[in-house]
Amino acid sequence: MPDGPVVRIKGLHKSFGPLEVLKGIDLEIEPGEVVVIFGRSGSGKSTLLRCVNWLEEPSAGVVEVDGIRLEPGQRTRSRREHIREVRMRCGMVFQEFNLFPHLTALENVMEGPVTVRGLERTTSRRLAVELLGRVGLADKADEHPIRLSGGQKQRVAIARALAMEPTIMLFDEPTSALDPELIGEVLAVMKALATEMQMTMMVVTHEMGFAREVANRMLFLHEGEVVEEGPPSRILTEPQDARTRTFLAAVL
Amino acid sequence: MEVEKQIGGAGEIRPPGVPDEDLSRWQRAEVASLRVPFRVKLALVWLGVITVLGIMFVLVRFDLGWMAEHARFIFLGIPFTLLISVAAIILAVILAVLGSLARLSRNPIAFGVSGFYVSFFRGTPLIVQMFLIYAGLAQIGGNLRTMGYAWGELLILDSLLAGILALGLNYGAYMTEIFRAGIQSVAHGQAEAAQAIGMTYGQMMRRVILPQAVRVIIPPTGNEFIAMLKDSALVSFLGTVVSQMELFRRAQLVGIADFRPFEALILAAGMYWALTTVFTFFQQRLERRLSRGYVRAGSFQLGGGAAGHAG
Amino acid sequence: MRRPRFSLVAVLAAGALLTSACAEETPGGGGGGGGQTEPDDLLAEIQSRGTLRVATDPQYPPQSSLNDETGEWEGFDIDVATEIANRMGVEIEFITPGWEQIIAGSWQDRWDVSVGSMTVTPERDEVLHFATPYYYTPAAIAVREEDAATLTDVATDFDGATIGLCGGCTYEFYLDKTLDIPGEEIEFVIDDAEVRTYNTDVPAVKDLEVGRLDAAISSLTVLRGAQEEGSPIEIVGNVFHEPLSVAVDRSAALDPTRFVEELDRIVQEMHADGTLIALSEKWFGEDLSTKS
Repeated sequence: MPDGPVVRIKGLHKSFGPLEVLKGIDLEIEPGEVVVIFGRSGSGKSTLLRCVNWLEEPSAGVVEVDGIRLEPGQRTRSRREHIREVRMRCGMVFQEFNLFPHLTALENVMEGPVTVRGLERTTSRRLAVELLGRVGLADKADEHPIRLSGGQKQRVAIARALAMEPTIMLFDEPTSALDPELIGEVLAVMKALATEMQMTMMVVTHEMGFAREVANRMLFLHEGEVVEEGPPSRILTEPQDARTRTFLAAVL
Repeated sequence: MEVEKQIGGAGEIRPPGVPDEDLSRWQRAEVASLRVPFRVKLALVWLGVITVLGIMFVLVRFDLGWMAEHARFIFLGIPFTLLISVAAIILAVILAVLGSLARLSRNPIAFGVSGFYVSFFRGTPLIVQMFLIYAGLAQIGGNLRTMGYAWGELLILDSLLAGILALGLNYGAYMTEIFRAGIQSVAHGQAEAAQAIGMTYGQMMRRVILPQAVRVIIPPTGNEFIAMLKDSALVSFLGTVVSQMELFRRAQLVGIADFRPFEALILAAGMYWALTTVFTFFQQRLERRLSRGYVRAGSFQLGGGAAGHAG
Repeated sequence: MRRPRFSLVAVLAAGALLTSACAEETPGGGGGGGGQTEPDDLLAEIQSRGTLRVATDPQYPPQSSLNDETGEWEGFDIDVATEIANRMGVEIEFITPGWEQIIAGSWQDRWDVSVGSMTVTPERDEVLHFATPYYYTPAAIAVREEDAATLTDVATDFDGATIGLCGGCTYEFYLDKTLDIPGEEIEFVIDDAEVRTYNTDVPAVKDLEVGRLDAAISSLTVLRGAQEEGSPIEIVGNVFHEPLSVAVDRSAALDPTRFVEELDRIVQEMHADGTLIALSEKWFGEDLSTKS
């Protein structure tokens, strides 16, 4: 793994038809950094996140993950392979969990190692059991997602992403679909990831408490541009930009 | 003393204690009927329908003796009906898997060919397709052979094979749409999650999308099979030989041999009805079993098999 | 994980395809086994194959129908065909396409000959070779028993009537007034009939019984057969005579000339030695094989 930023984004533009959602983003994330991205809905924050693992293809710009460089272009076989490699280095956690309903929690977590990484089943199982234990769900290994609460599902989703041993974890509003009393258990796991594993994390969220405690840096996105950037101690107490102030006033 | 007003009837005021005989006949019947359980009423209705059918039967004056004598021979066509249907449904499923993936593909060849296939085989009658494959393909094959291409021979299919091929192609076209809808019904997020952990298209389909789509696809596929049991009768129009005769062909030939076509057809109809009833029963069991574990007990669920099949 | 249970079904399907592929011989056109010289015409091919493939539509009792007790075809045509095969020194195999397939020619060598009580007409002669006729039947007209008493003259009673018959058969051409049988003089005495066609003759007879038709025209043999099975019809007269022959596809891949000559020879032999008379008496109760 090369030294230097885990993620390097230069001049990222994304348009959906006539609507320009990202208007030129530059961003570098160092190893071990936790970056929280926040902003109004429609500001482009989810799109930015999804451009990192190429679930959205940028209209222009460069995305480099772990030294692998991607630019928009033809979907040739070699490019598809590069995209896959990038995705294997990014672990993604979705707002709607997106667990595989026909598999148990354990099988969900094992799926990546077995099918994508090609590991042996026994090795994968051991890894999966350990990960489920780390997120506090060892006893739910043989349950299907339909029998799990929202918070439990999201923790399984985190374990599933971790099973790929990624260099960076991407969180797309991980607690927005949860009932309030279940949010805490998920945030606790995310905090542990940062503090105990020093995992590099890029988190799109409204949970400012989490940001204050865990984030190294916060980015405020407004209409497709980074309006303000800085450590949570400053951003949350003394936002410089008027737009940041307005938004935070409404949220906090 | 309070005088209670009776609801219903003429709305007239009656002193209490007046016997029920004064209630209108209809009202009395309604009240009594409420006490009879639904099951009993249902059984009575069935009895009524069967009685009416029985009377019709007697009036037509079918030769019941003849029917009893020849029922067994006609019945022995059922294994062939099943064989045709099973072979054809397998072909149809294979075509539907390929076809549905092609309909969802960005590849112009796959998309174009599958579009043509679906349009043609859903847009022409099954019996026409059968004759085209039996006689038309053979004509091509014969001409090819005359031109010197010996492999043209392969296009000259016997009746059973031609029939199975036509059934498979026809049902495959309808089921392509069923399968496509099934695949698309799998939430988009599933594909994203699969891609996010780095799966290839093939892995995603095999491990995530198709297993979930199968659950949606099985009930309408079961319905298609039941429809195919009936359409298998059309194979007889290609002139199947003794060793291959399914239910309808047997009834047709036996009936004509003894100048009793209707008796034979009634027997055949009864047997088809029994066949489809049996399979429908198993189909419903299967549907219930499939939704276990996916649907919380007691929650509302729609019946399966939404896709219709013409003819 | 749920997997479709297709494995057992796949075995069944493979079985179905295998049995059907074996059930019918591949059409001729190729030679006998390796090392032998290729047969150069249809007759040689049949002899080297050792089997005569005969087309018959088994919906035509008493000429051709199914005996469900034995599971075999039976009838006058069946017996004649079997006898022909015997005299050629080969086995026999029956193929059962629909009648329209047989009279159309272009058999793609699925079978060698049709022994199906086919009337020789110029149109058919364009696509098929015909051998010497093996018997002659009157085409007759039948009505319901209760209607028979009111009729007096075939020539006038049926003008404008609703008449049922087998589609694509000579009876249809007769009512169309286009029927042409070489060697026969035909009087078209029925005018403006409303014609109802059926796949085969038997449904026409049934519709007559029920009252949908005023009359039905078919071969005398078929109408008599119906009466024997209890059909309440009465045969009121003949409309024409037809000679019936075996036929061979002109478009056969191998030259059929010698085969047709052989068929000719055999049929004449069967006339001469009384075989056809015997078979006719067996199935029709009278000798229809001799031209009257």
